Amino acid sequence: MSTDTSTDLATENPDNPGRRAEPTLPELGALGSLRFVWRQLTSMRTALFLLLLLAIAAVPGSIFPQRNIDAGRVADYIAQHPSSAPWLDRFGFFDVFSSPWFSAIYLLLFVSLVGCIIPRTKVHLKALRARPPRAPARLSRLDQHAELTTDLSPDEALAAARELLKRKRFRLHSHDDVSLSGESGYLRETGNLIFHLSLTGIIVGMAVGHLFGWRGDVILPEGEKFASSAGTYNTYAPGPWVNDEQLPPFVLGLDKLDVQFNKVPGKGFGMPREFTAYTSLSPGPGQPATPESVSVNHPLTVDGADIFLLGNGYTPVITVKNAKGEVLYREATPFLPQDADYRSVGVIKVSALPTPKQLGITGFFLPTAEPTFVNGPVSLFPDTENPEVALSIWEGTLFPGNAPQSVYTLDTDQMKQVTKADGSPALVRLKPGETYQIPGGRGSITFESVKRFAGLSVRTDPGAPISLVSAILATGGLILGLTIKRRRVFVRVRPVVASAGGPDGDQATPATVVTIGGLSKDSDAGLASIVDALHDHLAERKDRS
Amino acid sequence: MNLAANANVALYSSMIVYTLAMLAFSWHLSARAPHVAEARTRAYEREGVLVGSGAPSRGSSTLPDAAELPEHESAKSRQRGNIALMLTYLATALLLAAVLMRGLAVSRPPWGNMYEFATAAASAVGLAFCLLAKKNNWQWLGVFIVTPILLVLGLAVAVLYTDAGELMPALKSYWLGIHVSVAFIAVAFFTIGFAIGVLYLVRARREQNPDTKPSFIESLPSSASLERTAYSVNMVGFILWTFTLIAGAIWAKQAWGAYWQWDPKEIWTFVIWTVYAAYMHSRATAGVDHRKSMYLALTGFVCVIVNFTLVNLVSTFVGMHNYSGM
Repeated sequence: MSTDTSTDLATENPDNPGRRAEPTLPELGALGSLRFVWRQLTSMRTALFLLLLLAIAAVPGSIFPQRNIDAGRVADYIAQHPSSAPWLDRFGFFDVFSSPWFSAIYLLLFVSLVGCIIPRTKVHLKALRARPPRAPARLSRLDQHAELTTDLSPDEALAAARELLKRKRFRLHSHDDVSLSGESGYLRETGNLIFHLSLTGIIVGMAVGHLFGWRGDVILPEGEKFASSAGTYNTYAPGPWVNDEQLPPFVLGLDKLDVQFNKVPGKGFGMPREFTAYTSLSPGPGQPATPESVSVNHPLTVDGADIFLLGNGYTPVITVKNAKGEVLYREATPFLPQDADYRSVGVIKVSALPTPKQLGITGFFLPTAEPTFVNGPVSLFPDTENPEVALSIWEGTLFPGNAPQSVYTLDTDQMKQVTKADGSPALVRLKPGETYQIPGGRGSITFESVKRFAGLSVRTDPGAPISLVSAILATGGLILGLTIKRRRVFVRVRPVVASAGGPDGDQATPATVVTIGGLSKDSDAGLASIVDALHDHLAERKDRS
Repeated sequence: MNLAANANVALYSSMIVYTLAMLAFSWHLSARAPHVAEARTRAYEREGVLVGSGAPSRGSSTLPDAAELPEHESAKSRQRGNIALMLTYLATALLLAAVLMRGLAVSRPPWGNMYEFATAAASAVGLAFCLLAKKNNWQWLGVFIVTPILLVLGLAVAVLYTDAGELMPALKSYWLGIHVSVAFIAVAFFTIGFAIGVLYLVRARREQNPDTKPSFIESLPSSASLERTAYSVNMVGFILWTFTLIAGAIWAKQAWGAYWQWDPKEIWTFVIWTVYAAYMHSRATAGVDHRKSMYLALTGFVCVIVNFTLVNLVSTFVGMHNYSGM
């Protein structure tokens, strides 16, 4: 940098004689400081540093559970690590990819990238129009060089060189009569710029997807229908700029969910083999439905939204009656699977009763119950070989303070567990078709049957095509930028008079000394072969003439 | 089932032949070391004599590389190198047959779990080496490629083995053939790049301290040549890895509804990409020591190993890519 201030020069300060002057740093000023910061930020070393920092910063996202993937695991982790977890949470280790520090790194990286590609694009556009530079005086100083003497005249030699280099797609120019300059590999920088520009395109696509995309998840039991709208999804996550009124109004009915598991004993027993949802889809309410199937890897597309089959489980149909035999509750209630063998948990909230006499029933559904329960409620296989529910019953106020709560959890703050006459908790085990009489004349619970449910996710991402096209362009640019070499080849000719001992005695014949030089910015194994080829080409010409 | 059993027999046979190849390559190096070193000295002396003799003056004033001087190799060393190479061809053919038979046994691309991925990746390393070795005179590299192949195969057979079976629904897609195969071909190039990179660092150190006791290292190509080769091989790996990442994103969109969700496997794929990108940039930056850049490439390969082992097997990294079959 040119900010070299030499303090060794003992300049006297005229205003304050006798004292050595303070070293006078040139005043950068606000603009100058900004420019300095900008230069630092857009330097390759900074970009390199940010790139490595980005890699390191991403790693905690794989070590700590992340809220965007599994909020439940984050809650478990916090419960298990009461001392460290709050600090980790404060520094965003459970939301790494939306944390300020991670965002800061990639934003700086992209600012640095843009600051690098804009000036480079200008330089490159200029280079694309420019002629190859004048040939250096001494080509023997270049990385690759060769020399030969030929009978060709200087013009003929240059023409021969031009012919070969043209074939090898060099851009050529002669600045004078005795030299030729050639340059090739402009696509290298073009590729580099396309690659880096396309990376920003990927980010733009991600931003568009974030702003205009939305997702809605719904749990749909077999035989039921679902009309898409912002209010009907179990969870609905719109981007900030999504208009909820404009969601596609399709109606989806789940006719049957075909699920198969591996029944061969050994490793892989109980592994899923097939999930297919047979549905009927109509584009809007009242419109005719067509049968469609959705399976893993084969989403269904309707009105720009994709419907994915992402989960499945069981919905026991449970009926609760009061002592008079009036039905208080009859629904296919989804129980959420907790493990690979579909031990599932769920809650039945009988809110048709007055507080504080409301009933909350919570417990497990086991598709293949281990009959003894020695290790508690355990399922042995994910399919319904021996379905059973194991439930406990609570009485009191279901919704204290009318606060909103999840349909999958029971708030027992204002509830008491229902007990048998001997005071022990009433534990209910039912197989399909069985009924249990709740102690104290509170009525009955019947496990009618079990149906499957499909966990469907409906998503739109208008940014995805932008990211995809950018990614493909980036790959193309990367290949060009890495494989093509920027090369310069120069040829100089110098007429000499060679004395040839011919039959006429000492007769001077004109000859030409040709020097060839090759230059490459990059380590370039191919450059030597081009110089060689040029050398051989000219040498052959000599032989022929 | 018969086909799967034959696949295993072919795999065991290939391991035996790879072991022989490994021994032959070591035998080759032991014969090569002193002779090539001598040849280099002779060539250097002759070059000194040639200067000014009127021969076409070419820019090669540095010591010629051993790999560029196969004619100076002793007949013994060349013979052993070729035997080792032949054995490697045979072993790789057997391994490819094993992978193919496994694929036929399960009627799908044979890389649906860790065992299959490891064997397929090992066969890709073997194939890439076989295709490149003859042309580039890579006999000196053989032992450093065949040994990791054996290590991976041993690990696959002893620890990761999974019986031939059907896939879980998430993997039933033609993208399995594209995304995963490109991934392990990229890993194959990274493996070769890693081996050459380590040799480069050793060679560069010895070039700086030439007084150390001579060993086979002296018979390797010059550090500059090793560095260039490692860069080219890693570059191919990096391009393929970029493709892996994009193909994975496309498949993720189809299978999970979102092309990027920062699942642990995605994170580590991204980390690997970023580290190799840093290597590419660092190498292109004037004034950065190539050795420093090479350490970045080696770090990238360590990340590749982490991605395949820890991320697949340790429950900390639980995510959606749970296909280890373990």
